[in-house]
Amino acid sequence: MTIIDDFKFLEKHGFALLPYALAKSEAEVVEMGKKIGYPLVLKVVSPEITHKTDVGGVIIGIKNRKALRAAYNEIMENTRGKKVDGILVQKKARKGIELIIGGKKDAQFGHLVVLGLGGIYVEVFRDISARICPIRREDVKVMVMELKSHPILMGMRGKKAIHMKSLEELLLKVCRFMQKEDITEIDLNPVIFNENGCDVLDVRFKRTKT
Amino acid sequence: MREQVKNLKYIFRPKSIAVVGASGTSTKVGAVVLKNLIEGKFGGKIYPINPKYNKLAGLRCYPSVLDVRGKVDCAIIAIPAMVVPKVLEQCGKKRIKGVVVLSGGFGEVGNNELENKLKEVADRYDICVIGPNCLGILNPYKRVDSIFLPMYKLKRPRPGGISFVTQSGATGTCVVDLAAQYGVGVSKFISYGNGTVIDESDLLEYLETDKKTEEILLYLEGTKNGKRLLETMKRVNRKKPIVVLKAGRGVKASKAAYSHTGNLAGNYLAYDAAFRQAGVVVAYSLDELFEFVKIFNQALPKGKRIGVVTNGGGLGVLTTDVIEEQHLELVEFSPETIKKLKRIIPPYANAENPLDIIADADSGVYKKTLGVIKEAKEVDIIVVIVLFQAPAVDERILNILINLSDEKKKPVVVIAVGGEYTQGHRKILESYGVPTYSSPSDAVKAVKKLVEYAYSIRSGSGR
Repeated sequence: MTIIDDFKFLEKHGFALLPYALAKSEAEVVEMGKKIGYPLVLKVVSPEITHKTDVGGVIIGIKNRKALRAAYNEIMENTRGKKVDGILVQKKARKGIELIIGGKKDAQFGHLVVLGLGGIYVEVFRDISARICPIRREDVKVMVMELKSHPILMGMRGKKAIHMKSLEELLLKVCRFMQKEDITEIDLNPVIFNENGCDVLDVRFKRTKT
Repeated sequence: MREQVKNLKYIFRPKSIAVVGASGTSTKVGAVVLKNLIEGKFGGKIYPINPKYNKLAGLRCYPSVLDVRGKVDCAIIAIPAMVVPKVLEQCGKKRIKGVVVLSGGFGEVGNNELENKLKEVADRYDICVIGPNCLGILNPYKRVDSIFLPMYKLKRPRPGGISFVTQSGATGTCVVDLAAQYGVGVSKFISYGNGTVIDESDLLEYLETDKKTEEILLYLEGTKNGKRLLETMKRVNRKKPIVVLKAGRGVKASKAAYSHTGNLAGNYLAYDAAFRQAGVVVAYSLDELFEFVKIFNQALPKGKRIGVVTNGGGLGVLTTDVIEEQHLELVEFSPETIKKLKRIIPPYANAENPLDIIADADSGVYKKTLGVIKEAKEVDIIVVIVLFQAPAVDERILNILINLSDEKKKPVVVIAVGGEYTQGHRKILESYGVPTYSSPSDAVKAVKKLVEYAYSIRSGSGR
């Protein structure tokens, strides 16, 4: 399955992703870009490239048509010789706090959903909170409070609290999705939250083999 | 409730018990069980079963359960694993509904086939089987005791409200011994071993409706059915608080290197999540298991505002420190409370929280001040520090504390730090159900658990 198939599958399950489109040519990139609106991000879609950033397959912060054309050509140049399925044109995410939302299927308890703050908080402090699916909205509130870093989410030093309702809905959705499609592992990493809502930047998941 | 779970009543309240594998060799498991039943003054009929004997401990001994004339409610089996299914079959034919299999040598050593066979027979006859590979059960109310450890080595606790469910026999032993030592009253003790027929969820379900059980301790190493355990814990915990200790947490710090949350989720994460969701009280050591559970006979607090009364200033300060650390609240007394207190305490004492009634306070001052604190609307929880070492404190304080705790209006905990003399008083308080702690930190941590539990019940988590 390609990333586009994954995205479509997620959208079918009600996940709101950043506006995106798959373009096959420079003309299409420009057309999609106009439709989606600036600022934009371009990402190469290729079965042969795993680490897109490392090969120069990702360009962010594209502000106008001129920059868009240039970005397209740069990516095509950088990935010359590789099989390229197309270019993912994606709306650039809003600014905010990076969260990681994950989930897995446990042999004893079934699906569980995990919430953590991105970056060093998860990696160094292992600051995460988990619940067995299904969960209720109230559970999400408690999960947030369980994070040692929760003051960051509640707004500090002049920053506003994150949009809690979006977080609740997203976690509930992840649970429903995992249970319905029997997902063995899922990672929404990162999801950017601010006071207005959230943007899911990347999603990866594995389904139970059928 | 499944028929087999209902049949636990035959194990906890049997009118007759057969001891299969009873023996004349005093060190054999069957011999100890028989001796313990007799010396423990079990009130019902006892049938020793062993083809090698005609008589054991002055009782007629039978070749098999099928040779017993009268009805048999429960069989305690202590024979080699290989022959257990055959004996269980005989129990089925004899219509014995409760069986405790002490013998090991089943799934835990890879003998899964034998264990499956045992389950097959048990299911066919609707026999409730505890075990195999366990210590079995203890019901101090009915003096039923299948624990094959001599009484002089392992004291039995008095009857009380706490039931203890344990997967591990060894841990179970320690807890039984400590319960007896601390004067903690036990309703049912169940070491369920491999949990082949009756597992931890079945036991929780049974204890939910058991009239004598008020609180439940659960020692868990792993479950085979997490979903059911979560649902059962959720439901039972709302009626009877469950304090759980999970062994084998093993969340290694090295795992922190992963940024994948999926990989971050070690196995304990799922257990931890389930415990939090069920709203049960999580302990991290055997000590905590006890320290936490004993506070749950108290009334549930309305909030987290604590009032402290002490006859030792330093302990009041230490207690204040822990209250802050645990994010509980040392409440400011209302003007009304202060006015009342000023009439009681010496003029050189401050009517502030923690209330230091000074080392020369006698039991009478304790009684009067506690009378004010218990009525104070701003106080949700009463912490009483007693330096039993102080000359003016006498035995009357015990009655005052016991009565205060018995009122069940606000939770009361006592902190008594000290050696032999103090420990003696502590034990008396414990035996009357007053949660008493030998350090401010133990006491306040337990209070925190009670506050969290009350909160989870009120907020409806675990529904």
